[in-house]
Amino acid sequence: MGGANNKNCELVGTTMIPYRISYWHIQPAWIFYLLAAVAVGIFIFGLITHVSVWIKGIKRQAIHLSWSGTSNLLLDGLLGLRIFRGDIAAGTIHLLILWGFSGLFVGTVLISVDYWLHHFLKGSVYLWYSTCLEIVGLMLLVGLVWSLIRRYLQHVPRLERRLEDLTVVVLLFVVVLSGFMVEGLRLAAQRPDWALWSFAGHWMSLLWTNHHQGALSIYPYVWWAHALLSLGLIAFIPYSKLFHMLAAPASIYLENQPLQAIPVETRGQDDEVFSYRDMIFFDACTRCGRCVEACPSTGAGEPFAPRDFIVWTRNDLLMKYHPLNHFDWFTNWIKRRHTREHVFDTQKIWYCTTCRACLDVCPVYVATPDTIRQARGKVVEEGIQVPSLLTQTLKNLYKYNNPWEATKKKRAKRSQDLEIPDLSKGEEAKGLCYFVGCTTSMDIRAQELARSFARILKHAQIPFAILGNKEPCCGDIARRAGEDGLFEKQMEDSVELLGRYGIRDVVTSSPHCFHTFRNEYPAFQALKPAEERLELRVRHYTMLLRELVTAGSLRLERPLNVKVTYHDPCYLGRHNRIFDAPREIIAAIPGVEMVEMAHNRANSLCCGGGGGRIWQEDLDADVNMAEIRIREAEAAGAEIIITACPLCLIMLEDARKTSSLEYAVRVMDLNELVATALSPPVLGGENHECCGMRKTGS
Amino acid sequence: MNVVVCVKQVPEVTDAELEINKEGIGILKEDLEFDINEWDNYAVEEAVRIKEAHGGKVIVITLGDEDSEDVLRVALAMGADEAIRIDEEAFELSDAAGIAQGLYHVIRDLSFDLLLTGAQSSDYGWGQVGPILAELLGLPYASLVVGIEIDEGKMIVHRELESNTQEKVEIPLPAVLTIQTGINNPRYVSIMGIQKVRKIEIKETDSGELGLSEEEIGLMGSCVASQELSLPAVGEGAKILTGSLNEICEKTAQIIRDKAGVI
Repeated sequence: MGGANNKNCELVGTTMIPYRISYWHIQPAWIFYLLAAVAVGIFIFGLITHVSVWIKGIKRQAIHLSWSGTSNLLLDGLLGLRIFRGDIAAGTIHLLILWGFSGLFVGTVLISVDYWLHHFLKGSVYLWYSTCLEIVGLMLLVGLVWSLIRRYLQHVPRLERRLEDLTVVVLLFVVVLSGFMVEGLRLAAQRPDWALWSFAGHWMSLLWTNHHQGALSIYPYVWWAHALLSLGLIAFIPYSKLFHMLAAPASIYLENQPLQAIPVETRGQDDEVFSYRDMIFFDACTRCGRCVEACPSTGAGEPFAPRDFIVWTRNDLLMKYHPLNHFDWFTNWIKRRHTREHVFDTQKIWYCTTCRACLDVCPVYVATPDTIRQARGKVVEEGIQVPSLLTQTLKNLYKYNNPWEATKKKRAKRSQDLEIPDLSKGEEAKGLCYFVGCTTSMDIRAQELARSFARILKHAQIPFAILGNKEPCCGDIARRAGEDGLFEKQMEDSVELLGRYGIRDVVTSSPHCFHTFRNEYPAFQALKPAEERLELRVRHYTMLLRELVTAGSLRLERPLNVKVTYHDPCYLGRHNRIFDAPREIIAAIPGVEMVEMAHNRANSLCCGGGGGRIWQEDLDADVNMAEIRIREAEAAGAEIIITACPLCLIMLEDARKTSSLEYAVRVMDLNELVATALSPPVLGGENHECCGMRKTGS
Repeated sequence: MNVVVCVKQVPEVTDAELEINKEGIGILKEDLEFDINEWDNYAVEEAVRIKEAHGGKVIVITLGDEDSEDVLRVALAMGADEAIRIDEEAFELSDAAGIAQGLYHVIRDLSFDLLLTGAQSSDYGWGQVGPILAELLGLPYASLVVGIEIDEGKMIVHRELESNTQEKVEIPLPAVLTIQTGINNPRYVSIMGIQKVRKIEIKETDSGELGLSEEEIGLMGSCVASQELSLPAVGEGAKILTGSLNEICEKTAQIIRDKAGVI
């Protein structure tokens, strides 16, 4: 025993100071360094592979030092807070693995410092160090075992079971386990007095209680096995989903850095459609499947899933820009390897409604809606694979400046029906411009939205006017469809027109126009000289109504005695975070009982109309998304489902009829509800007896 | 393999409320949108696909006013290489033969293996320009083509006949084909795509340059003269109900009860 003890303690005076001898019984150590160099080389080559893809991306932003980025990095990266949302087990597992792994990494760094630079791991420092490593190692083991149980025994539906998913966890597991074995064997052979400080290793050493010579003889083999596995793990990182440990922090940090607009005409013929940030996003994806759970298209049984899109695009980019793809043997090998995974066909990108549900739940902020839009841009540019109904819609947008094939004459007639002061007929702009929008102007059902809103504004004595037959399309549909040339044309036309009429204050019917004005235009306006920029105050009508209700200029005094639920439109809620305004307006109406559906606010389910889908009915699966939503409203016990978007209104109204819930649930725009609640009511007359209000009072 | 395609700009009339002009032989075009004739769009797409598969170039020709350059730009953006516009001024009131004369005087100087036109135009719909061109050029001809397989010096052509039947014919090259819709799925032309071909020069010519006299084209050169254009009269038996939504519903229900005997 004494002999062994002599090898791992120093005699300082008469006290024995505990520490660990590096490369104890391991000869020759240089082989380890050689192998380590090889592993690091493989790691660096993998890193170069990823970076060589990233640098091919277009540069849409400069990287700034930002506090929000840094705080996101701490909260979403180091603490993984987003992973806890809706799945505490996943959050805990990730935290155990992340901190277990990082702890062991730091431990390894410290021992290297101790060996090469300054011998400080001795005495009580060493003992505490040893105990800490025991704890993080056990955390890692627990996290790994738990993750295996979730994936392979509990069969959590969103988790895939590919070979890589197993390899990564098992490799990590055997690395840690072999580490504990090495420690156990060493402790069994050395039997130091302080073995209990290394409690896990000590338990392990009990396996060899009476065989310490045997322990000593197998120790070097297990040591080498542990070393090889650890080096293998390092080399494996950039070639597996473990790479997210580098890409995810980058993705999280970059998430809220401002993006520059790149006008189509400045784009080169062969420019990549994705920015380097998008490429980092793709690399950050671990295929956790939260997006698949959240995606309304996947939920309706359509052949699309955001995760598939990401994996497919990532593989595609890697093949395209890999440093080795100048060699035929390599490209052939990659092609053979990817054929099975490479089943995502371009046609599927048209299923996405750009509802942003996937981005909202993604722990690493993979901006799928935005990248889908860019992928569509490429397909539109090539032209051959654009679905025929979408081709028709885009052509109409170009020809008629609206998707409804409405000639100017028709549009003029429709706006006449609305009985609103019309700027195109020489009436003066008195401040507020009500941007009715193509769908609200042209669809008979959606027109009720505009009529009610106009009546409310008149009731509140707010002067306003519309653009009548001059009103252009804001460009939302073209933008979502990836037809950026058309979008920019429509944007320029709109900016020019609004400027010509001196309009500075706009309120929209549609969250889509609102979003486009508010979030898409400014980046392009920023490219212009200051005097040519359009400074626009844009509000969605719900914002204006709330202001009027709060200020007391709109009194909702007529009790309605009805049970309603509210459907959050994606472009109002998730895209612009307006969840409270519509609910506050509903709450201000006496007698209205508000119930929430199973999916609400940021978790709301898309009606299936966004992203150009309303014009592509041929994509619908057997059950359409709006039918799922109507059923939720019925399940919540609501008599009326209220929404604040013309597309949602149309989609839900149709779904009500196709899902045989025509008499169970009614669909109304918030404006219609508010107009009914005014005293005296400013009802639209003929159609309003069907609004389902129970008569009150008399 | 060089392919020449004749295209035409036409008004979009599917959903428009048409009005007859004061001369009584045309429609008012102020409120209308214009586009490439649907059949011609398929013909251009087919020509570009042939070029992509067999090499060569695609030349598009139109006979129209300055605005009809738009359809040539669309064709160029789809993949055509050259474009020619014959000014329509002297061709006003020409019948199909007059139009074909104008096109023929340009085409006869071009070197080509295949000449495509749409099977008909959506505005006047005579469906004659293709056959007359074949006659003038002395080339073999097939109409209503829904499939083309090109072989050495000849091609197998699928023609659409009644009740979903198809005829397969062999035709030597060069030849003239009139293309039926559905032969392919024409590609989408993005705004960016049109921007990119903005710099390609469109060759312009007119009847004078082509050496066509007044007797050959225009009203004088036509054997067919348009007499009157009219909108169909509102037929008997159609009844337009008026009133509020409820009144219309009541009336409809009453009609169903009265006429169909439904209770």
